[in-house]
Amino acid sequence: MIEIAGLSKAFGRATALRDVNLDIGPGMFGLLGPNGAGKTTLMRILAGIVHPTVGSIRIAGNDLGTEAGKRATKAILGYLPQELGMYPELTAAQLVDYMAILKGLHDRVQRRKRVREVLEMVALHDVADRRIKSFSGGMKRRVGIAQALVNDPRLLIVDEPTAGLDPEERIRFRNLLVSLAGDRTVILSTHIVEDIGQTCRDLAVLGRGRVLFRGSPAELAGIAQGHVWTVTRPRLDEPQPGTTIVSMLHLADAVQYRLVGSWADPDPSAAPTPPSLEDGYVRLMQSRT
Amino acid sequence: MIRYAWITSRRELLWFPAALAGLFVVIAWMLPHPHVRFTIARGYLGFFVPLLAGISAAYAVLDDPALELRFSTRVRHVSTLLTRLGILLGVQAACALVFQLAAAAMGIDLSPLGGLAAIQRAWLVPTMGLAATGLFGSLASAQCATGAFVASAVWLVQILMKGWILANGPRTYLFMGVLEPGRADLRASQLALSLASVALLAGSWWLLRRQERYL
Repeated sequence: MIEIAGLSKAFGRATALRDVNLDIGPGMFGLLGPNGAGKTTLMRILAGIVHPTVGSIRIAGNDLGTEAGKRATKAILGYLPQELGMYPELTAAQLVDYMAILKGLHDRVQRRKRVREVLEMVALHDVADRRIKSFSGGMKRRVGIAQALVNDPRLLIVDEPTAGLDPEERIRFRNLLVSLAGDRTVILSTHIVEDIGQTCRDLAVLGRGRVLFRGSPAELAGIAQGHVWTVTRPRLDEPQPGTTIVSMLHLADAVQYRLVGSWADPDPSAAPTPPSLEDGYVRLMQSRT
Repeated sequence: MIRYAWITSRRELLWFPAALAGLFVVIAWMLPHPHVRFTIARGYLGFFVPLLAGISAAYAVLDDPALELRFSTRVRHVSTLLTRLGILLGVQAACALVFQLAAAAMGIDLSPLGGLAAIQRAWLVPTMGLAATGLFGSLASAQCATGAFVASAVWLVQILMKGWILANGPRTYLFMGVLEPGRADLRASQLALSLASVALLAGSWWLLRRQERYL
């Protein structure tokens, strides 16, 4: 579906992406990385909004380097940007209808039918005629997904969709994305490891503009195998330097730490612990700094 | 598309021109002397309609909360440009025409500016010129406020340096239609300014294609 070869992007002297090579097939694909890793730049390039400095991208056979290829790609694209700007005075149905027109759905009857369908898909049909300014953050995100889906895209790009949502909304949103995947390619960009672990079978980790890892969530977790410990120590007693504390649990008279890192001579009280996806991510980032 | 472009436009871009036109109608109505009334009408049509168009145009394209969504669709940049600019120029034109009707109803004689077509050219040419300037300025600098400043600065310089511009480059004088309607080179000036406006619009289209600058 997507072939990215030798992709780099510079903004003036700042390099956002360096020699990115990725092949992405149908289904959910996770793009993980810290803030500033280049995820949004990559998403914008795939959406045909930002031009790469060097490299080539083919999406469903269309060369994104040409104007014709870009237009053909946009015809099969649904895009939910990180900073989702909307028109607060429009209703949900009006916004999705407007985006449908911009995406080239000119038949009014067909368009209205499709608008109703996508608002039902995101469970907003009951509030379709309410103004967006009265919506919660989660509802606005779902309007964003509805507009992205209105042209029945083969490629759906969602950039940090769960940022700022409460846990219930996040779970609902994740489930929605998984249900949409099917034959589509859904690219989920996020810095929230849990979102990837719950939704994707294939992922890449970006760091400082480079692809640091490509594989499954189990393979990413496996990077931390043998590097995760649980250790309980009295309060205020600092644990092993050189490791990263990924969690702390305050007990009655001590603190239980979960540590990730290289520990040549572990404390006898430290218990080796099976790694999670987050541990793998932390270990990957440690090895790259 | 036009309907949504209309309802997603900033409300002040729509009501402020109408309010300004209303204000000038009231002022003209309150002043009894025909010459002063003519001056007020000429000032509105020749100076304030163009100024407002220039400032509004600076915000017309970039001041869009869903700009990134728009860029992700197949909508052509020229369509974005013409739709947004068309709405605000349509509002300005409607206000200018309604003002002329009100002026006629009050007995204000605009014939010193020429015939009907000459009166329309007198406000339309500087309006297009400053709108294109404001739009180009905002896209070149990727800042709405800069575009508005550039349009306002051009407007002010043209007013303050009338004599010098008319002596050294009369074809670039925006307000010749209202201040020097009898000049022999008026039509040539208006043609030159119209071509310059088209050139600035073409430049704006070229700039908008580099869309990543505006995110």
